Amino acid sequence: MKIAGNDILIQSLINEGVEYIFGYPGGAALHIYDSIFNQKEMQHILVRHEQGATHAADGYARATGKPGVVLVTSGPGATNAITGIATAFMDSIPMVVISGQVQSHLIGTDAFQETDMIGVSRPIVKHSFTVDKQENIAQIVKEAFHIATSGRQGPVVIDVPKDLTNPDELFDFNYPEKANIRSYNPPVKPENHQVSRAVDAILTAERPVIYAGGGTISSNASCELRELNELLDFPVTNTLMGLGVYPGTGKRFLGMLGMHGTYQANMAMHNADLIIAVGARFDDRITNTPEKFAPKAKVIHFDVDHSSVSKIIEADIAVFGQVKDSLKAINNYLRSRKDEINREKISPWHQQIREWKEKYGLNHELYKNDSDEHPILPQAAVQHIYQESEGKAFVTSDVGQHQMFAAQYYHFDEPRKWINSGGLGTMGFGLPSAMGVKLAYPEEEVICITGEGSIQMCIQELSTCSQYKLPIKIFNINNLALGMVKQWQDMNYDGRHSSISYEDSLPDFVGLAESYGHVGIKITKNSELKEGIAKALAIKDKLVFVDIYVDPNEHVYPMLVAPNGSLKDMWLGKGEKT
Amino acid sequence: MIQRKLTLVMENKPGALARVVGLFHQRGYNIDSLHVDPIEDFEPFRFIEDELGIKFQVGEVSRLTIRTTVGDKLMRQILRQINKLIEVIAVSDDESTYLKGVLRNENLL
Repeated sequence: MKIAGNDILIQSLINEGVEYIFGYPGGAALHIYDSIFNQKEMQHILVRHEQGATHAADGYARATGKPGVVLVTSGPGATNAITGIATAFMDSIPMVVISGQVQSHLIGTDAFQETDMIGVSRPIVKHSFTVDKQENIAQIVKEAFHIATSGRQGPVVIDVPKDLTNPDELFDFNYPEKANIRSYNPPVKPENHQVSRAVDAILTAERPVIYAGGGTISSNASCELRELNELLDFPVTNTLMGLGVYPGTGKRFLGMLGMHGTYQANMAMHNADLIIAVGARFDDRITNTPEKFAPKAKVIHFDVDHSSVSKIIEADIAVFGQVKDSLKAINNYLRSRKDEINREKISPWHQQIREWKEKYGLNHELYKNDSDEHPILPQAAVQHIYQESEGKAFVTSDVGQHQMFAAQYYHFDEPRKWINSGGLGTMGFGLPSAMGVKLAYPEEEVICITGEGSIQMCIQELSTCSQYKLPIKIFNINNLALGMVKQWQDMNYDGRHSSISYEDSLPDFVGLAESYGHVGIKITKNSELKEGIAKALAIKDKLVFVDIYVDPNEHVYPMLVAPNGSLKDMWLGKGEKT
Repeated sequence: MIQRKLTLVMENKPGALARVVGLFHQRGYNIDSLHVDPIEDFEPFRFIEDELGIKFQVGEVSRLTIRTTVGDKLMRQILRQINKLIEVIAVSDDESTYLKGVLRNENLL
């Protein structure tokens, strides 16, 4: 059967099992959109801005583990998608972005809506392709999905000149079964000598910590990590990207570590004699000053990416391979040496951690104090959301104080439930990513915890939610200012609040939500909090926007002392330091 | 900090060179000199063909030589980052070679 380039592209996506394609049409993509119109296997979701398309595809990918797919036109369509591609790249999220391009003979002439998308996106993609002829479209799509979803995952761009999707030129179509890329060979299984060295170190540790990050989630290795911990009974901390990979309510869970990590997690890392890094990359929000990081610790680093190991912190033992395979190998080998596991040896360490936690651990019961004499604490708002949703919801967030409060006080017991932009820190991510999650799991509760700053960066997607009837629950932690910036200005700039206030220009969020056909609820007092949140969650068929006015002067603590601090140097409250 | 030489064998495809050069800027490394040629004499690279089970055709692959001035740790990081580029078949410094993603402790190029 002979078909045209546009149909080859769409049929290839269908062959890859794509359910949803998030996009926005335009001149250079019109042939492709015509092909979408003529099929029923895949649903196109029309967003209101291309950034929303990439974040929605990203949210879908994070929640399901399957690649998110985006279709945009050339020029501004492509450049608008850039922030979302960079977001996915920093967090290693599988995504395939198809961008229309001007006709081949116009490339390089500054044609209408022409941008060098391959050039613009180069530093923020795992790989990119320019389609050179119709006969290669199917092979390119196959390779793009293979690259996006294997090894260390990431976004891949396919740039398609308009003439190569011309419906009048027909070609043979056979979707390839395999992508054969002779220069690409991501590691799969770890080597035995690495595994045995790691186990030797594990068996002699007295103050060990397991430090698990987003790579453990993308490798679907949560079960293996939990098995490892059942064997060893070691304390576990998760990065912002790793939350849920070990149960947030688990017995040995220390909480998140790093910039706004818990006291006990940061202290445990600093004082450890063995750090077992699993799919985590020691970024600057984790290490504080690298030279002062965990001075007594030996480091075992599990990663699929060679370049992540010993990049910031020198690894004593590196185990390369898919984290899932590596952990399986470790668990099997540990079982064969089970009689050497000595739990007694680490019991003083557990005792020490308990003392740290009792001394300066987070207060998870702020929500019980609901007096109207003081303003709503943002932490208490998150705790109420956690209680009322029974800890079972998918939670997306934006970036800022509300994100940190959500990470600290919503306990995720399963991986892929916490969806946030950890690496790039993209404000505007929360709402569109929640759309992707809700489309993937229509029966599940999907909550977006956001702030009045972030939500306004992609608020146009309220319209998309209306069109596709996506009953997301948005909790706007409204402190009337860019809270995290304000916190830094309070702490480092003598309270000079430069450009963080909107003065009186904030919209009436309730009225705004209602104008799109959604439900709006405004909460200003502690006594309204529990009931208001419960009411929002009880509405199953509508998007509910809950605008929660919180204490505008609250800061996020703990907070690492920077620059030049170590992990044991933390602000614990206003003016209170370790 | 000493000047070092990196040798790459990579697919001769449009945009491949830009990925290598872009990576240096993106990661904050500097290029002292750069030379690129399509490989015509495959004799020194037969081991790559054997390893990959393929036969190179004339014009298909290029050899790239880059000189850069960096310390040991950064050199290792540069090698690993270059090795991640999809179109790079092999990359080598004086001491080691990544061949299709697998590390060897000698300069094979």
